[in-house]
Amino acid sequence: MTTVNSGLSRARRGIAPGGAGRPAPQAGVNRASKLHGQTSRTYFWLILPSVLLLLLINGYPLVYAGIQATHDGSLIDAGNFVGVDNFSSVLASEAFWKAVQFTLVFTLVGVFGSWAVGLGLALLLRTRIPAGGLFKVLLLLPWVVPIVVSSTAWNWLVASPDSPTAKLFTAFGLETPLFLADPTLAAVTVCLFKVWVSFPFMMMMSAGALTSVDNTVYEAASMDGATRWQQFTGITLPLTARSTYISWILMTIFCVNDFPTIYLLTGGGPVDATTSLVVYAYRKVFQDFQTGPGVAVAFLMTITLVIVSTALYRQIRKSSVE
Amino acid sequence: MNATPELNATGHSRSFSRRGFLGLTAAAAAVPLLAACGGGSASKGGGGDLIKFWDMPWATPAYNDAAKKITESYVPAGSGPKAGYQTIQWNNFYQTFSSAIASKTGPAVSTGGGFQAFQFDQQGQIAYADKVIDALKKNGQFDDFLPGVLEPFQSDKGYVAVPWQLDMRVNWYRKSLFEKAGVDVPKDWNGLLEAGKALKKIGAVGFMTGAGAGNFLGNHAVVQMMVNNGGGVWDENGGIDVMNDRNVEAVEFMYELYSNGIIDPAGVSYNGDNHDAQWKNKAKAAYGPHVFGLNNRIGDTSGDLLVADPIAGPHGDKATLLFPNNIMMYKNTPSQEASEAFLVYYMGKLKDLWQQKLMNALPVFKSITELPEFTSDPNNVKIVKEWQPIAKTFGARGTKLTANTAVLDGGQALTQFAQTVLSGKGDAKTALKAFEAGLKQVVKS
Repeated sequence: MTTVNSGLSRARRGIAPGGAGRPAPQAGVNRASKLHGQTSRTYFWLILPSVLLLLLINGYPLVYAGIQATHDGSLIDAGNFVGVDNFSSVLASEAFWKAVQFTLVFTLVGVFGSWAVGLGLALLLRTRIPAGGLFKVLLLLPWVVPIVVSSTAWNWLVASPDSPTAKLFTAFGLETPLFLADPTLAAVTVCLFKVWVSFPFMMMMSAGALTSVDNTVYEAASMDGATRWQQFTGITLPLTARSTYISWILMTIFCVNDFPTIYLLTGGGPVDATTSLVVYAYRKVFQDFQTGPGVAVAFLMTITLVIVSTALYRQIRKSSVE
Repeated sequence: MNATPELNATGHSRSFSRRGFLGLTAAAAAVPLLAACGGGSASKGGGGDLIKFWDMPWATPAYNDAAKKITESYVPAGSGPKAGYQTIQWNNFYQTFSSAIASKTGPAVSTGGGFQAFQFDQQGQIAYADKVIDALKKNGQFDDFLPGVLEPFQSDKGYVAVPWQLDMRVNWYRKSLFEKAGVDVPKDWNGLLEAGKALKKIGAVGFMTGAGAGNFLGNHAVVQMMVNNGGGVWDENGGIDVMNDRNVEAVEFMYELYSNGIIDPAGVSYNGDNHDAQWKNKAKAAYGPHVFGLNNRIGDTSGDLLVADPIAGPHGDKATLLFPNNIMMYKNTPSQEASEAFLVYYMGKLKDLWQQKLMNALPVFKSITELPEFTSDPNNVKIVKEWQPIAKTFGARGTKLTANTAVLDGGQALTQFAQTVLSGKGDAKTALKAFEAGLKQVVKS
């Protein structure tokens, strides 16, 4: 067991059998440091235009949204300054917390469900299977097809008692399921739809990360007697961790901000069962015409996303250092 | 061999700075803010040399082509500005109008949402149409209006807009299903209940509606039943009056319909297409409220799909819902006189749209309802004779429309209420109380 663990530990650090690990510090550190400084400056100048563009694109809406969130106006007129009233009214609303709850479920299922499916398929496609390339292309379709098309397809599959999926259930003697009309089933359906739409992205991210793991690492682990599961938990997951955390951050942002997946399939219903925060904000602004509270919700979402992203970023750093 | 872990552990990960990352993350996370605060597609030129007329896709693209032709054929008197036509899509239309108006690039004249004129009037953007009404009085068109269609637009300050077509809820039935079930088409609520039970036995739905994504017909159906019973959301002065006895009675009846399996339990999630599909299915939807011209909408003009008689509530009341779509004028115009002259001209040309059979809506002018192109469908004649006279607006029990009716129509409070009722959850009084509380949160007094 000790041999296995020590082998896995070496493998996790990317040291092949017989390898010596990190190279010893060499002379000329100052020169390297100077070069590193020059490289950093180059990076700075290369990235500056993009950052400036992002600031310009986001700066104005952010400032204007800040004004709207603290006023009681409309889309045309900012109205009167109300301080944090919009935030406090939103935070006191039961509907807001219900939306928070669904957003959490939707995001957790969306991120980890699509990651699990995506990683599983990436591992499967890593093995040599016939027509693997074709499968890869086909598996990308849910991500590639416009969401309007896929939501229409899912609606056709589940919306009414005459839909194919409902008929399948009744063919097995089960009660006709109300996939979109029952609040719990609607939430499950929307989450499954999100996983279906998102897993190709996760599959691509995982496949990319897996290609960077050298096969000899697995060979070394096998020689040390590691089982498949030990290789997966001891090599695959740690060595793809950085990519995994990045994909989690991105998917968290995608899920929290996802409007069309929910709105096109259920509109947030029935009885708000699938209303996420972004749908709630939209409905506040464009259906209840309450611009201030709606934008306040969007602000709260942004703050939360930054906090979550920061936490995940720390994980990236940790995984890099390890 | 060691390249990947080495890169991960040193140089590249450190130059990927936390501050930079946070900046980029914040930018990406700001998407909801961008979405919420808008910046819609403001189109160019509210003023300039043209009277800009913005119109919605009310029917097939042929409608917009014809409306464009009418607009561009406008010849102003003297040296007044000509008119230009632009189609505005329904998606985010309120945002489109709002951002254009805010940036002074909006239209001078437009169609739009049924209550849009009242919302923009509340924000001081609407030019009143009193002079247009005066001109219509002079040219005889004023007397041609169907009864009661102008009244909702008359505010204390003047006419907020001019109606040009009516979106009405009428009850339709499929004749063959009633024959198969061996029951009469209902004439009152009790008849509706009994017919529904008989239709259920043959697998048909006795009260079909839908309240899924983007489908507001279910919301309208519940309010229609309340109005049909002499109730309504507002009192005579426009204040909220949800908990009146007539409403309670109507909603209790809806729950009774649901508990007897007469309302399709899946209907609460039907979007527009799902809803229409139930009517296309000749074995499914047997009776229920829908729009004017349902037979044309779903392509069933065989004569099996017919407009039913208005049904009487338990107290003998008969009423339905009417949404008078209208044309409004804005203060931002190259010339108010020119806007008015164009609108008077356009109202005079409305007949062309029905003569070309481009409209699937009830016209506002009696003379158009007498055109052979309109009367060729007996359903249309029945709607004009039996349904239009009993129709009330969303402002019922009051007679005036206000900006608050926009908050009601499509707002979260009504959607949640209608979905609660149509899914048979809870009871009538609890549902109505929640509706009232939700409405009070968003309605400006």
